[in-house]
Amino acid sequence: MSSNPPAEYAGVPLPEVRITTTRLLFAETTEKVLNGFEEIEHIRQVTMSGESLPRKINSGPNKGLDNNHTQRRTIKVGGKDVELTTLVGNFFIELDVEDDMVLDETVGKIKAVCDAHIEHGFNLEIGRYSKYRPTLTDYRGV
Amino acid sequence: MAYKRQFYPGTTSPAVARRRLMDPKVKLQKLREVPIEDVVKLMGHRNPGEDYKSIHPPIEEGSEPDCPIRKLVTPIDGAKHGDRIRYIQFTDSVYFAPVSPYQRAWMYLSRYRGIDTGTLSGRQIIEVRERDLEKMAKEFIENETFDAALTGIRGATVHGHACRLDENGLMFDAWQRYLWDPKRKEVKYVKDQVALPLDKEIFVGAPASMEDLKKRTTIFRADGVDMRDDKEVTKYQHRIHKLRTLGGYQPFKVKGV
Repeated sequence: MSSNPPAEYAGVPLPEVRITTTRLLFAETTEKVLNGFEEIEHIRQVTMSGESLPRKINSGPNKGLDNNHTQRRTIKVGGKDVELTTLVGNFFIELDVEDDMVLDETVGKIKAVCDAHIEHGFNLEIGRYSKYRPTLTDYRGV
Repeated sequence: MAYKRQFYPGTTSPAVARRRLMDPKVKLQKLREVPIEDVVKLMGHRNPGEDYKSIHPPIEEGSEPDCPIRKLVTPIDGAKHGDRIRYIQFTDSVYFAPVSPYQRAWMYLSRYRGIDTGTLSGRQIIEVRERDLEKMAKEFIENETFDAALTGIRGATVHGHACRLDENGLMFDAWQRYLWDPKRKEVKYVKDQVALPLDKEIFVGAPASMEDLKKRTTIFRADGVDMRDDKEVTKYQHRIHKLRTLGGYQPFKVKGV
């Protein structure tokens, strides 16, 4: 008998919006952008990636010392606490849409949020950039 | 005819900058002043004012073995005193940093004696006797090869040279050794090169503008000066590539290239 993997996949390749920012975003900007996305309908999930900020100094003679990076902190998104562990540089937004008109409208709203909060520019693309059903790696450690 | 030393081919601005940095006759421009006590703190090898630790007795004591090479070579100051060998390591961003690691190696070896330097993808370590290192480190933090935003002093976890810059235009550093000071509009170090918090903030000046950096950099980039636009540099690269491909470690055996 096997357990279910922790991630929830749509099972079908829904469209995904990839936003690559020109500069790595501070926690404050990430918070504003995510709260902007909160208002938009048809967003199934948002995944972020960027450069990792370790909690502790992870090598060298001071290994184990607290890192105290000012950008590694908890932000509020839609009233919930989200712990940021990276300096965010990419957003992957999975959209739960069925036709092109709704897709265009939703992407337009996403772009407007980015225009309002991302000062140094970004690149927005529509496609499919991550998997949509479980694979063997999802069962690792289950 | 006496041999005239040549440094680097090409006519474009990165090629000229490379030649300039490598030529020991060119005095590098000093852009900022950082006190030697602060440089010592940034490196973290000893406390300012503390004696230099030694690994062998001073050469003047005469305990050296009888060796013709030792008689021939004039020791650098730190070697005379038997200092330890310590290091400083700079990371240079790919976003038009004034110099890049490989040219640092060329520059160091062309300008200094008694050093050991190592090139990695984004960083350049320099190892030398402690008292000489401190003088060199001060020089290289103060001169035109250092930019407050795009050059980092990092002993470990140097990751960041190929990452995007942050919103303040600073090169990414997972250990946040330096911060932007919005009041003074300068970059300040709050940790030493191996991330030990400093007892005082050390200011290293304001970053240069991107416009200025694009003129000064030694980096060829498709969105700056493309290496293929410099005919002489391309020819030289092709020649090295061909000699290496056809001749391996015996390029002199390849004829007619």
